[in-house]
Amino acid sequence: MGMMKLVLQNFKSGFKNYLSLVLSLSFTVLVFLNFQNILYSDTFEVLGTRNRDYIGILIQLTSFVLGCFMVFFIWYSTNVFLTRRKREIGIYVFMGLSNQRIGKMYLAEILLTGLSALGLGLISGMMVSGLFQMILLAISDLTVEIRFAPSLKPALVTGAVYLIIYLFFAVMGYFNIVRSSVLEMISAAKQNEYVRQNRAALVVKAVLGTGVLCQGYGLALKEGRSNVMGNAFGAVILVTVGVYFLFGGLIPLVFQTLARRKHFLYRRGRVLWMNSVIFRMKKNYRTYAVVSVLMLCSVTALAMGFAMKGRYDNIIQFENTYTFQLLSSRSDLDGQARERIEREDSIVMSSRIPVLTLDGSLVEARESYSKYAFVAYSGLKQLAMDAGMELTFEEPGEDEVFKISHLYLLSLITDRADVRIGINGKSYRQTGDSSEPYLGYLQESMSFYVLNDREYVRLLPLGEELYAYNYRIGDWERFGKVRESLDVLVEDGPQNHTARVAIDPKSNELDWVKVMYSICIFMFLVFIFASGSILFMKLYNDAFEEKERRRVLRKLGVDEAVLRRAAAAELAVAYGLPFLVMGVSSLFSVGALGKMMFTNLLGVNLVSALVVFGILVFWYGLSLWACERGEGGI
Amino acid sequence: MNENVVVEIKNLVKDYGAKGFQTKVLKGIDFTIQKDDFIAVMGPSGSGKTTLLNILSTIDQPTMGTVVLDGQDVTRMSNRELSRLRRDKIGFIFQDYNLLDTMTLQDNIALPLSLSGVSGRECVERVGKLAERFGLVEHLKKYPYQLSGGQKQRGATCRALITEPEIIFADEPTGALDSKAGRELLECLKGVNESHQATILMVTHDPFCASYARDVYMLSDGRMICRISRGGDRKEFYDRIIDMQTSMGGELSWG
Repeated sequence: MGMMKLVLQNFKSGFKNYLSLVLSLSFTVLVFLNFQNILYSDTFEVLGTRNRDYIGILIQLTSFVLGCFMVFFIWYSTNVFLTRRKREIGIYVFMGLSNQRIGKMYLAEILLTGLSALGLGLISGMMVSGLFQMILLAISDLTVEIRFAPSLKPALVTGAVYLIIYLFFAVMGYFNIVRSSVLEMISAAKQNEYVRQNRAALVVKAVLGTGVLCQGYGLALKEGRSNVMGNAFGAVILVTVGVYFLFGGLIPLVFQTLARRKHFLYRRGRVLWMNSVIFRMKKNYRTYAVVSVLMLCSVTALAMGFAMKGRYDNIIQFENTYTFQLLSSRSDLDGQARERIEREDSIVMSSRIPVLTLDGSLVEARESYSKYAFVAYSGLKQLAMDAGMELTFEEPGEDEVFKISHLYLLSLITDRADVRIGINGKSYRQTGDSSEPYLGYLQESMSFYVLNDREYVRLLPLGEELYAYNYRIGDWERFGKVRESLDVLVEDGPQNHTARVAIDPKSNELDWVKVMYSICIFMFLVFIFASGSILFMKLYNDAFEEKERRRVLRKLGVDEAVLRRAAAAELAVAYGLPFLVMGVSSLFSVGALGKMMFTNLLGVNLVSALVVFGILVFWYGLSLWACERGEGGI
Repeated sequence: MNENVVVEIKNLVKDYGAKGFQTKVLKGIDFTIQKDDFIAVMGPSGSGKTTLLNILSTIDQPTMGTVVLDGQDVTRMSNRELSRLRRDKIGFIFQDYNLLDTMTLQDNIALPLSLSGVSGRECVERVGKLAERFGLVEHLKKYPYQLSGGQKQRGATCRALITEPEIIFADEPTGALDSKAGRELLECLKGVNESHQATILMVTHDPFCASYARDVYMLSDGRMICRISRGGDRKEFYDRIIDMQTSMGGELSWG
């Protein structure tokens, strides 16, 4: 029999075993292709250049993350494949085949598997591309016409990226086999020997891991200013390392300690599954750690998406407080403005407030601007009353200010304690801040400081007093007409200057945030699904070894129900531990994110944890089913 | 049924193969195992030894006939009942030990007891006693891969004995052991049998191994053709077994 014939026969007879590998790989191809489709399609052209550019950057970033994931996934799956095949291929040594020939056989087999996955992924990816874009746009709440026109370029890019990564690992596998000793290949089948983990090493790892993890959690929650990014980066590194040591140290230590307590171990059939958990932990702890971190990133990304969407909605609401705003040096503009607006439309709400602007050279603040704006407390109180808003803070003292600013999508400054501002040499303590849109869009473009009335009057000679006039119109359809009518008032003369701000309620310039939101949801689902599939693949592979053990246990008269319970308990630990670690860690990561986004994300955190739970339960059920059917082995 | 009878086999027949192409492996076997018996079943390759053992140990079903174990006909029991019977009434010793590589020797021995719901304290005590008797105390914390073949098989024997079963079925228990380890194991089996702790049925092709039993049944072509009982001396018994083997046909493959 020729080598190729043997390879084809192996591939055909073992296809069922490779199926999970082929399906998982084709799934990553499918996802990657769909993102490439968006990148190369003109779906988002209609949203304008700015949105299209932002979405382009988002998709490229996402593709990069997916590419990284693809590297990991292919590395992992080819590794599992290699381990399994090495055991079988080792037998060919006795038939007189050289390592090179065996390596070529492996290469041919893995290429067949990889190409099948690529073909399947590309075909299914093209088939669902329209649906994918529809779902993405539906979640993003965008109305864009979708054309079902599969183009070649995304498929070529996807194929190229996939093949480069895949070939790299396939060739690595080839060299691995070529360099393996005969003994190593034959004994690959006997690598089940349980090596008792050194207790002292476990204790060291456990202490180190717990310490590093706590440090990471602490860093995530630490208040910060300029060092927030550094803290966040540090937290990611520490939590990743900590989780790795947790599965490599603390968790096996706990299980081994429990297994030593025989009175505990011999109760309720624990002896059966706890020993298996300890045995597997030694082999699988890296997988558990990777899956935990992957799920943690997914949950955090989802929370980010939700928070962004929340901020987006708030910003839209914020900006649309008023339809038109005039900022003028004239104090008598209200009548004229009203008259001009009412020629075209009705006014449903209006307010007016004097604003003191000071030159940047007179003010020392954390953020530096060329101009700073101040309002008197009583002025703001009147404005709030006119606009039907509530003033939620008391009048500041003579050496105090209160800041009213816009909503940030994301702030890197989480430490808001003891903030001070200097005005003309006098220091004021900032008593708090609010993002209530008292001054509407004006507040979006600059921050206002609220002063004590007397202090406001005292500072008046230092700067220029302007007047902000705010109007909301009744019929937004008349927006264009009203704007034209108001434009007559705009002037920039030596005596008077008046600026007009018009907020188009139909503006879509932040639509990219909505796309980001849906991409976050999508990435979350992809990564959680992938995490589950990684665990499934690993456990499916383990189930192969479990077959023999189950056969012995059946001979010994162990009930099927007991075997099922033991398998269920063992799988529950395999899926449950990464979930638990992810759940606890996400409280910190999402909490830190919530701080940056000025919002409480606990609800999102809990819901996403529930979704993760649901997906893991699906994979758990599948693993249990495969285990009971005696399936397994890639 | 006599209360000393542990297993009663009547007219046991086993056919293999599709209808019209059947091979009769067992052709009507009758015999009884009494309490404290130590029986060896010998026979050439293809005589039906393993089939007989599989049926007795409830892993296989006969085509005809009955096997009454502890007063119950095992041929009419459900899978669930059979599992329970195997767990509570039968002990197994396999040629390849079949210890679970994920557990220490102590856990392997305690496993059947633990799964029967016996308290942890009692499990530990009983494992300790058996391990002492079989010289395994210092090996209890080790994993199977850290043990020699003889230690593994003695461990497997402890596991078979731990539930104090009605009968122990041993399938070529010394098949994978060197002569010294094999002898040690057989001495242990003989010891537990003589101290009324176990009734043993052992399938073997090795006359030396069979000479440790009290009775040897010769199986040939699916039939039990004779029974030899030990008198006093094991050596003399061994010679008689060899003679019988020769008279049955030295050209046959005994394995």
